[in-house]
Amino acid sequence: MASITINGKTLKVKNGTTILKAAEQIGIEIPTLCFLEEINEIGFCRVCVVEVEDEQDLVSACNTEVANGMVIHTNSDKVKESRRATLDLLASKHRFDCWRCPKDGMCEFYDMLKEHDVVFEEFGPGIGRNDETIYGTGISQDLSKCILCKRCVAVCQEVVTANVLKFRDEDPLNPVVSPTPGLAFDESGCIFCGQCVKACPTGTLYETNHVDNVEDLLLEDNYVIAQIAEEARIGLREEFGYDMQDASFDDVFDQALKMIGFEETVSTGVGEDLHVRALGEELYQHMEEKKEEPLLSSWCSGFVRYSELYYGDNLDQLSSLRSPHILQGTLLKKQEHKAKDNVKVVSIMPCTSKKYEITRDELKLDGEQAVDYVLTVREIAKMIKRRGFDMSNIKVQDKKESPYSETRKSSNDLLGNVLAYVANKLNVPFEEPKYKVIHGERLVETEGVIEEATVKFGKAKYNVLRVSGGNAVKAMYKLLKETKKTYLFADVSHCASGCTNGGGQAIRHNVEMHEILKAREEAICAMHASTETTTNEFANNVFEGFFAESRDLLETSYSVKEFTKE
Amino acid sequence: MATESLNVKELYEKWILDAKTKLTEDNLVPRVKEYLIGQHPEICGKCAPCRDGVIKLEQLLDEYIDGKATIKTLKEIERLTYNLRASRCSVGLDIGKNMEVILDNNYHVLYKPVKKY
Repeated sequence: MASITINGKTLKVKNGTTILKAAEQIGIEIPTLCFLEEINEIGFCRVCVVEVEDEQDLVSACNTEVANGMVIHTNSDKVKESRRATLDLLASKHRFDCWRCPKDGMCEFYDMLKEHDVVFEEFGPGIGRNDETIYGTGISQDLSKCILCKRCVAVCQEVVTANVLKFRDEDPLNPVVSPTPGLAFDESGCIFCGQCVKACPTGTLYETNHVDNVEDLLLEDNYVIAQIAEEARIGLREEFGYDMQDASFDDVFDQALKMIGFEETVSTGVGEDLHVRALGEELYQHMEEKKEEPLLSSWCSGFVRYSELYYGDNLDQLSSLRSPHILQGTLLKKQEHKAKDNVKVVSIMPCTSKKYEITRDELKLDGEQAVDYVLTVREIAKMIKRRGFDMSNIKVQDKKESPYSETRKSSNDLLGNVLAYVANKLNVPFEEPKYKVIHGERLVETEGVIEEATVKFGKAKYNVLRVSGGNAVKAMYKLLKETKKTYLFADVSHCASGCTNGGGQAIRHNVEMHEILKAREEAICAMHASTETTTNEFANNVFEGFFAESRDLLETSYSVKEFTKE
Repeated sequence: MATESLNVKELYEKWILDAKTKLTEDNLVPRVKEYLIGQHPEICGKCAPCRDGVIKLEQLLDEYIDGKATIKTLKEIERLTYNLRASRCSVGLDIGKNMEVILDNNYHVLYKPVKKY
C-alpha cells in the first residue's frame, strides 16, 4: 500500500494504482481525453496532467503509478494553465464546423473546451491538420478534425482486432491516423463495425452519411418504409432522453417518422423470427449430415466481413442465410407491396456495418437492393431533431396493425430459440442450456466473451458457443482450430455484448460502459413479456410459402475478400 | 542538417552550460528559431505540447522577425514554453527547459520590441 495526498486529502491505495484511479477513489475527477480504460492508457493528449510535489515536470495521471509519500495537486494554477494551453494547441489543428459535424451534440472535445473555458489567444480555431477525407461504405474519416488521441487505433487493434487504423508518424510534426495511405476503408480490411466511431472524441470518424439520401427518398414519389431493430429502439429512447424501458416513446417516434414522410414504420421482428426458423432448419440439416465443423451464425454483418477478410478458410462454416433485415426488406418489396414499384426500405439499426451489407452484390434482388439505406440511431435522431418537433406533444394516431408492426416472437436468447426449434423437430424435450464463460467477461468490451454450453437432444450431447467481441471472435477461431472438442453451433456477433453495443448506437459519455450495456440488456428483456418463444405464424407461412419457392432469396454466398495488407 | 546540429550544440553550450551568456539582441530570435528547427528530427509527434507547441513557438518567433510581435506574442511564447513541462518525454521537456533559460536570460530582449511606452 502507498500513502499519498491528493489535493490535501491523504489516502492509502494499492501499489500500482494510477494517480487517475487513486483520485477517483476520493471522488476527484481528473479530465481525460485520450484515455480509454484498459484499452488506451498511453498519456498522449496530456490533458490529464497533474502536479506532483518535488517533481520538476507535470505528469500524466492516466499512466503514472502512485508512489508512497506522493503529494499531488490536480487543480493547481500550473495544471489548469497547462490543460488550457494543451487544449488550445489541439484546437488550433481542429476544424470547427460544429454545426454540420456528425458528432454535433455529442462531441467530447467540444465539451472539454467549454468546461475548461479555453480562450484562443494567438491561434484561433483551426482549419484542420489535414484536409483529406477517407471514404468507406460503412464508415468514413475526416482528417481535418483529428486531434491524434489514438483512441480509434487502440480500439481497432485491441478490441476489434482488425488493425486497420494506424498512427502514422513518418512526419512526426504532422502525424495522421488513417487506414493504409491512399486507400479507402473498403480496400484496407475494415469491417465497418463502427467501434472507432464510438471511441472518437470528435467527429473525425463517422458513419457514412445516408441521411441526405433518405431525405431525397422522402421528397421523391416513393413509398418509404422504415424498419426499426429492437436495439435501435433502446438507443432512440436514450437519444431522446427517455427511460430505456419506456416503450411509450416508440409510438411517438413512429409518429415522428410519419411526420417527416415515412409511409410505414415496422419492426424487424418478422425478419428475425424468419431467420430463427430458417436457421433452425439449417442446423437440423447440418446435424443430419453429421458435419464435424460447427455452423456459424451469419446475422452479424461485421462478423461475416471479418471472416471473409481474415478467415477465408472458414467461410464454408458460415450459415448460408441472409441477415434478418435483408430478409424482411425482401419480403416488403417482393411480397407485401409487390404491386407498388416505388417501395423503398430504410433500416434503422444500431449498426454501421449494415450500411456495407446492403450494398453486397450477393444480396441484391434483380440488381436492386433489398434495403435501400441504413440509418444509425444517431442519424435518425439527428434527422428528427433537425425538424424541431416537440416529442412530448406529438399526438399518436391510430397505428396500422400488421404482422410487421409486432416485435419478434422469439425470446431474447436467439441461440436458445434455434436450439429449441431443432429439439422440437427431433421431437425431444428441450432444456435451456447453461452457459459457462470460457473467455473474457460479460459486459466488458476489451476481451469480449465466449460462453460455452452443452445441449442435450435426447441422448445426444452437443457443444454450442455464444461469442461476442472482436477479441472473442479471434479466440473462437483459434479454439475451433486447436480444440479436440467438436462444436455444433456458434452464435457470433463482432461487437462486444452484441447489437446493444453496435457502432451505430447512441453515444453516452460519463457513464460506465458496462452499466450502459447492462441497462440496455435489461431494456431488451423488458420488451418481451415472456421468456418463452412463441410461434410467429406469419414468419412460418412466408418461410413455407414465399421462401420455399424463392430459396435463392433466403440464402447467400461468401467469398474471400481481398484487401491490401500492410 | 550538419550545420543545424552544430548550432544546437553551440547554443546548448552557451545557454545551458553557461547560463549567463547572453546573445546579442539582433540575432537572438533567429538563432532561437534555428535551435527549435534543429530539434525537429528529435520530436516523435505523440504529444501536443511538444509536437504542436514547438511549431507554434516558431510561428511566434516569426512575428518578432517580421516586426509584428505584440505583448500577446511574448505572453504566448511564455505560456507554450511552460506548457512544454507537460510533454510526454525528455525531448519536449528539454526543449522547454532550454526555452525557459532563454526567457530567464533574455526576457528584456523579447520585451523591448513589444512594450507600448
